[in-house]
Amino acid sequence: MTPRRAGQLRSPLVVAGLALLGLMVLVALFAPLLASHDPRSISGNVLESPSSRHWLGTDVPGRDIFAQLVYGTRASLVVALLGGSLAMVAAVALGVLPALLGGFVDTLVNRVMVFLLALPTLPLVVVIGSLAGSSHLTLIVVIGFLGAAPNARILRSQALALRQRGFIGAARGFGGGPLYVLRRHLVPGLAPLLTVGFVNWAGVAIGLEAALSFLGLGDPSRVSWGLMLNRALEPEIRIYFSAMWTWWVLPAGMGIAATVIGFTFVGVGLEPSFNPRWLRSS
Amino acid sequence: MGGEPGRKALDAALEDAPGARGRAPRRRWPQALGSYALTLLALVTLNFLLPRAMPGDPIEALAAEGSGGFTFGEQSRQALEEYYGLDGSLLEQYGSYLGRLARGDLGRSIATLAPVRDEISRRLPWTILLVGGSLLLATGIGLLTGVHAGWRRDRPLDRTLLTVLLAVRELPTFLLGSLLLFLFAVKLEWLPLAGAQDTFGSFGPVGKVVDIGRHLLLPLVVLGLGLAVGTYLVMRAGMVTQLGSDHLLLGQAKGLGQRRLKYRYAARNALLPVVSLAALQLGFAITGDVLVERVFTYPGLGRLLFDSLTARDYPVIQGVFLVVSVTVVTVNALADGLYRRLDPRTVA
Repeated sequence: MTPRRAGQLRSPLVVAGLALLGLMVLVALFAPLLASHDPRSISGNVLESPSSRHWLGTDVPGRDIFAQLVYGTRASLVVALLGGSLAMVAAVALGVLPALLGGFVDTLVNRVMVFLLALPTLPLVVVIGSLAGSSHLTLIVVIGFLGAAPNARILRSQALALRQRGFIGAARGFGGGPLYVLRRHLVPGLAPLLTVGFVNWAGVAIGLEAALSFLGLGDPSRVSWGLMLNRALEPEIRIYFSAMWTWWVLPAGMGIAATVIGFTFVGVGLEPSFNPRWLRSS
Repeated sequence: MGGEPGRKALDAALEDAPGARGRAPRRRWPQALGSYALTLLALVTLNFLLPRAMPGDPIEALAAEGSGGFTFGEQSRQALEEYYGLDGSLLEQYGSYLGRLARGDLGRSIATLAPVRDEISRRLPWTILLVGGSLLLATGIGLLTGVHAGWRRDRPLDRTLLTVLLAVRELPTFLLGSLLLFLFAVKLEWLPLAGAQDTFGSFGPVGKVVDIGRHLLLPLVVLGLGLAVGTYLVMRAGMVTQLGSDHLLLGQAKGLGQRRLKYRYAARNALLPVVSLAALQLGFAITGDVLVERVFTYPGLGRLLFDSLTARDYPVIQGVFLVVSVTVVTVNALADGLYRRLDPRTVA
């Protein structure tokens, strides 16, 4: 790690973002210690107000809201990790590899990516999600592949620039196949972009998962912030007619916002140093 | 807004935005039209293939989920297949699908048994009002603030706006919507809580407009705020690139006033990318619209999508998707053409 890059890691934005995310990881790890109730089982009356037994009251069948808030961290972080990684793997497969192969494959894949970028995201996910069924894994896979198109385009343009450079030509000249060059030279060369892309898409994945759960596309047996909002805003709850809003909707929404902002801070903070000039100028 | 892939897509798209780097290839009319037609065909084909590519088949899904779990024998299955156009080979199905589509037939809703086309056209005006209004609002606010911030780059106001707007963009749409609803409809009781118009009120024509406007205000602001950030950033960046340009310097040397320099010289040139942006933003606006309509119980297409999702009403879900994406793709193609007119350099 160069000194400049190490210095960037200490930029206030990155520190703040990492601190926020670190806190979330701690909450997720120690969820059983923090929450004294099981988030899935009924532990009180319906719609209790906050008390020493239920810090944030209870929801409709009488489940503890604080426990749901704490355990919801796990769902979000898992989505961020898997959704972000999957998006990057797909982006390399659909952006970098075709660029390396060139020719008809490249043209075709690139056209499909442009086409996917033109479609309105949420309706597309709703169609796929509603047809594929609402398991948590399906949702993560859909979110991951959704990240392929925008990230593949960014990676592609950099891979095209990188391809022109001498050492790639030398490696290919010595008989290195596309997969060898991809593994040995392109992925390491694109590592900074992949890092920033992962962090950014992890944040997007959390928001998307929350949005889809909020629309009722998530697995109803999971504990997640989006699902909490989905239940809280059901018309029969009449969330706005009491102070319930402040201990049910607000904490879940703040949880989502805090995690997304954590990832955004890290992403924005890393971008300047992880976007090396030599990659752009070539 | 926060967590929507719009931001990523926006960044990627702006890389290619005409004029952004001055390298985007511009095509002639027939070519652009051909590419548009190809996109439409791909869209229609995607809509046809998606339910057929998924594990299981739509009829099993129909029986399995949310429909009371009825079972059927071989005979009724065949009847259902015929009814939903699922009999015959894939190619035959595709043919009849295209034929029905050409006649404007989008199938029937499973939940209400009404034609999907009627369901959609009943909701469409509200969404046009909400999405169109928020796009106008966003473009207006984004332009004004962007011109100002770019002109006075790095002054306190510019810094403050940049931070505040970036933070606003990260707030989940539904949290912001719910927060405003709580403040203005519940605490202050200034605005109505849900819907698009008062069901029981009887107003004159003026009262009706006021009533619809009062219901529209909050969803409009929530949707518009997130979009305004995009316009603001593009306009600000455009202004900043104009600041050091020769024609501006010449204008200054001629002794032109600041206002004239700012609006006629700098802003006019920085305006072009905003045109393609406004079309791109339609796609993001629709994503936001689905969420906002759920929060505000607004009776538009987003709400229809949500309701049919709850009922697993596949024909309606697909119909909404098709109508919405065709609109987005068409508007983007039109903006492309408009751009050509606005900036003669792109035809060269």
